[in-house]
Amino acid sequence: MTEEAASIDLEVLRYRPGEQARLENFSVVVAAGAKVLDALDTIWATQDHSLMFRRACHHSSCGACAMRINGRERLACITAMADAAQEHHPIRVEPLHNLPVVGDLVVDVAGFFARMTASDLVITRTAEPELPVSVDRLPPPLRLRQVVVAEDLGRFTRFESCIECGICVSVCPSMAADDGFLGPAALAGIHRTREATRDPMESAHLLALADGDGGVWRCHSSFECTASCPQAVDPAGRIMSLRGQIVSRRWGRLWRR
Amino acid sequence: MSAPHVVVIGAGSTGSATAHDLALRGLRVTVVERGEVASGTSGRNHCLLHSGGRYCVTDQESARECIAEARILDRIMPDILERNGGLFVALNEPDLAFKDRFMEGCEVCGIPAREIPIQTALKMEPFLNPAALAAVEVPDGVFEPFHFCLAFLATAKANGAVVRTYTEVMELVTEGRTVTGVRVRDYRSGVSATIGADIVVNAAGPWAGKIAAMAALAVPVTPTPGVMVTMDCRLNNMVLNRLNRPSDGDIIVPQRATSIIGTTSWVVEDPDRIPIPPQHVAQMLASGQELVPAVGQVRVRATVAVARPLVTKAKADSRDVSRTFECFDHSADGLEGLVTISGGKTTSSRAMAQRAADVVCSKLAVPAPCTTQATPLVSYRSFYR
Repeated sequence: MTEEAASIDLEVLRYRPGEQARLENFSVVVAAGAKVLDALDTIWATQDHSLMFRRACHHSSCGACAMRINGRERLACITAMADAAQEHHPIRVEPLHNLPVVGDLVVDVAGFFARMTASDLVITRTAEPELPVSVDRLPPPLRLRQVVVAEDLGRFTRFESCIECGICVSVCPSMAADDGFLGPAALAGIHRTREATRDPMESAHLLALADGDGGVWRCHSSFECTASCPQAVDPAGRIMSLRGQIVSRRWGRLWRR
Repeated sequence: MSAPHVVVIGAGSTGSATAHDLALRGLRVTVVERGEVASGTSGRNHCLLHSGGRYCVTDQESARECIAEARILDRIMPDILERNGGLFVALNEPDLAFKDRFMEGCEVCGIPAREIPIQTALKMEPFLNPAALAAVEVPDGVFEPFHFCLAFLATAKANGAVVRTYTEVMELVTEGRTVTGVRVRDYRSGVSATIGADIVVNAAGPWAGKIAAMAALAVPVTPTPGVMVTMDCRLNNMVLNRLNRPSDGDIIVPQRATSIIGTTSWVVEDPDRIPIPPQHVAQMLASGQELVPAVGQVRVRATVAVARPLVTKAKADSRDVSRTFECFDHSADGLEGLVTISGGKTTSSRAMAQRAADVVCSKLAVPAPCTTQATPLVSYRSFYR
């Protein structure tokens, strides 16, 4: 890391409900290594407190700062300013698609969170039997080592890979065409919950939900969600797997007749 | 007659927990926050659910507070915690010499601590430095700060509280020597408005001084940033601490699929502008490697600096300031209607809220007791409704 600071230009979508959306230009001096979220924080602190954007953890765990950067859905907290400026200058920053915009870069996640609730996905899961755990699709930096926990200490847990950021909802062409679609994150959530639960009633209920009106059959198999997920949740792969589970259950029923 | 109305400034962990406590006691509550929930210090904290082990020798008041609160949080938000415990690890002779004082401190503060054989520790944490000399296990944990705050606020909303994000306090409204509300700018609508209040609670964290200054008051809150370096993968399941007095870069908190090394400590004037000193990042990576050598082979995912709100008690070194909290009823300064709650840790935010709400309720002659210890929180997902 160097200490050099540079001035970089951004064009940020400004919008309030009922008004015309427009792009506003900002120049901001950021340190080398700064992320797009650092730039937005600096603009907010030094130029314009009315700029609305969601942010909390600044390390890709809370899911709040998902937005479109140069036309692609990303987490602003881990997108380097230098990389983004090389792609397109000024760096263009816009809100996610397929969610109502509250103002500027802020989207209303109420409907999205309601679908996540329907998936029964709980935030904590059993940890992997090996370390390190890596979910950003980079090649593993280190050889996996087994974790051996003494019996009286129970099992290790960790938070789910899905950070409920809404990126998969924004990139999904089926979501754009269809209000009733549960969407990639919630269907991936259903798949994860079914992997984890020991309750056959819950499992059956969730499979019926996945097979229902807003379920897996509405997916157009574009795999955009899997390509864009910053946490390598692979929603499209999970949707395909749910389809397989639904079909094999149907065949199973036919055989038993 | 309707219940008294309290305005809480700030939707970080302190403001969120305070709104929840007051709403449970039947008060009308409005939270105003200039950004998103947890967009200040709370969002960027180290995510450590303190057992108190970190402070059991140097700051036993904080340590007792931490273990009590960690147990309560385990009851009221069990679904949003990683409870994998923590290890305090000795890497050299001075660390080993500290062990007896550490064990004694844990016992005095009621923190369950037990030494485990180093071979067992290395099996549980295969990336721990194999040259470690001793390991003590304590019930540390991990939370996700955004969801932590959302869960308190979602429950507050379920009990009638109103949460206005992207709404900044521009001034305190006073009549004579009494605060009667806040003047806010709502950035959604662009409209400025006055929100009347029977009491205003200043829960602005390291910005508490800025709010108090609006009434020409001073509060002894010092914005004290720390740097945290988040690695690209998760190298540990338990919180790994250096077995010694708290110092820079002596703790690695795992979270989700990352490991976060922290932290440093210095003092700033303006918590909105904290340049990250590059030497602090280098220092975190160097001391992180002492605990977990593999840190040197992993990429950095993010570096963050954010200001703690330390309540100063006239000591020079910020490491020596107690991490416990204070509640200031500004009637002592000749101004009615304003209460500041600051200091503390996210782990102790429920206790901070209880103290603030006790002061508010006593001033408003509301007899309702605190019930947050035994009230499970609703899902963070129901905040956005």
